[in-house]
This record gives sequence, structure tokens and C-alpha cells, in this order.
Amino acid sequence: MEQKSVAITVTSGKGGVGKSTTVASVGLALAQLGRQVCVMDTDIGLRKLDLMLGLENRIVYDLVDVVEGTSKLRQSLVRHKEYPNLALLPAAQTRYKEEVTPAQVKQLVDDLRNEFEFIFIDSPAGIEGGFRNAIAPADRAILVVNPEIPSVRDSDRVIGLLESADLAQIDLIVNRVQPGMVKDGDMLSVERVQNHLAINLLGIVPEDRRIIRSSNTGEPVVLDGKSLAGRAFNNIARRINGENVPYLDLEESSLINRIKRIFHIA
Amino acid sequence: MSFLNMFGKEKERPTAATADDRLSLVLSYQRSDIDERKLKQFQARLIDLCDEFGYDVVGQVEIRPQSRPRDNTTILNASIPVRLRVNTDNEESADL
Repeated sequence: MEQKSVAITVTSGKGGVGKSTTVASVGLALAQLGRQVCVMDTDIGLRKLDLMLGLENRIVYDLVDVVEGTSKLRQSLVRHKEYPNLALLPAAQTRYKEEVTPAQVKQLVDDLRNEFEFIFIDSPAGIEGGFRNAIAPADRAILVVNPEIPSVRDSDRVIGLLESADLAQIDLIVNRVQPGMVKDGDMLSVERVQNHLAINLLGIVPEDRRIIRSSNTGEPVVLDGKSLAGRAFNNIARRINGENVPYLDLEESSLINRIKRIFHIA
Repeated sequence: MSFLNMFGKEKERPTAATADDRLSLVLSYQRSDIDERKLKQFQARLIDLCDEFGYDVVGQVEIRPQSRPRDNTTILNASIPVRLRVNTDNEESADL
């Protein structure tokens, strides 16, 4: 029987690389494409995804409530007002990750599969219990990496764990790339990161000040048409949706390049 | 940086290249999960082997793992500076 929905865990080796930003942005972009999407926060004790989507004030029940039977799954899902195709299953903020087991999270995701085409699981940083909960129900994984030594080193370890979990596909997103630094020889290039990790490249996202603005306002950066990072996340969503989309030219928006184009130098 | 280079300032090695080398080494150790003690024993055995075959080790011995992620294998690169030992016993007997 053909599987109608796909569960994708978004993970990383270290914290702060942009997992929640990726889940919120790609989830919303897919919802904009008309797909039924659920984004699920498994970072129990430290939830963040609700803030990224501007849904923090609408949470009544959370993931742990569903697992414990305090609430029904449908009651705990928070639908986005403007994009009703998108729903959030928030993490509990006042509980401990030990209260949930991988088998319980797997059951929860299996229940969500009836209603959603894409289920994104936002994994906590690190490789402890929370990580095992996040990968237990996954069909695929997306690894978010920054082009720097600690992030790549930790990601390499995570790839080993994901491979031992027999996931069908592990994709790579290189986030917070600064083309100027790469050009000056001060930042690892995407090619070098990909060569080291040897997994399929799903997307390249540039460093973008608009990300900070978007997380402050609770409006994912994909809604900002001027943001290059937003366009990169939109392209990633379209690739997940099965489209063949070329990678962005990250240098196209730099001031010098714009001036060069004006004077027909480049 | 390129502006300074115009005035003949010596070009520095890009820091990304240094990071790349460091990353290669770090990942190689991590993937092969090599025990430092075992590596030292291996190094001592190689020196003994050189001695057995008539070579004197004349510098620092370096053994570096290098990983190939595509086929998930590790290569051990050993750098052993040696000099062919001069057989002094024979020379002395010839003098006599």
C-alpha cells in the first residue's frame, strides 16, 4: 500500500543552527503550496516552534497531554489562522523529556498520518533521549548544519545514528552561509561541507538579518518576499514537494554585485 | 584583504582551508574511533620494523587517519623519516 504521508525529522548535532526556523519556514511554505502540514515540537521542556509561528498564545494542550490521555490529539493541534493547512503540535514547557517514550511519539505520528501529508518533527539538540523520541517515527531526516567545524563534526556523529536507525533518506541543509566569507576564504564552502558529510544536499540558506526580525514577529521568513533566506526555504519546500528547483545564486543580492550589474561590470 | 595584497603584502593561507584540514582530521579520528594508546603501539611497532629492515628513524613519526566518507573506510597515513643504516661493523673490519 502506498504511504500517503511522510514524517520528516529535522535535526542537528548542536543547538542554535536553525532547526526550528527551518521547520517553521518549510512547514509554512508547504502549507502555502496547498499541502496538509503538521509541525511537531519534540523539544520537551524548551519549546520554541510556537514562537517561530506566532502561535504561543493559542496553546492549551501539548504533546505530553496527548500522550498521557489528558487531551485528544485534535484538541492539542493549533491551526494557523491564515494558513489553516498548517497545524502545530506543541511541546510541553513545564515537563521533562523522560515523560515520553519513542514508542509513544511513534504512535502519535501514526495517528497524525491520517490527516496530514507532511509531518515535520522538530528535534531537540544533542543525541540524548529527546533525539531518540524525535527519530523514532521518522521516514526521512533533514540535517541542518552551519558551515563551521563544531557543527559539521557533531552532524557527522548524528548521521551515524540516523543511519543506524534505518531511515530511508537523510538530506542536508547548509544554513547561515555567508557568501562573502566563503569568497574571501574565511568560511567553509557548501561543497566542502557536503564532501565531508557525503549526504544529499537539499538546500543552501544564506545568513539573513530578516530571520531575527521574523522570529521577533512570529512570521516565518518565507512570508517576506524580499528575504533571500525566505526564498531559499521556499525552494526547499518545493523540492520536498517533488519539484526540481535549482539552488539560489547567493551572491545575487550583495550590494557590490548590484552595483556591478548597474554598471554592466558583472 | 585583496586591497593589501596589491601592495605586496604576503598572501595568507585562507582560514577556510585550515578549517577544512582540521575538520578532515577531526572527522577521521571520530569515524575510525581510534584509541590513542593503540595508535602509539602501532607507531612503536613500525619503528621496530624499520630497525629490523636496516633503517634508522631520523625524525618524528606521524600516523594520521584519513577517512573516506563515500565508502566508509579509513586510511592510515604513516610518515616515517628514515635513513639507511650504515653497517659500521663491516667498515671497521675492513679497516683492520
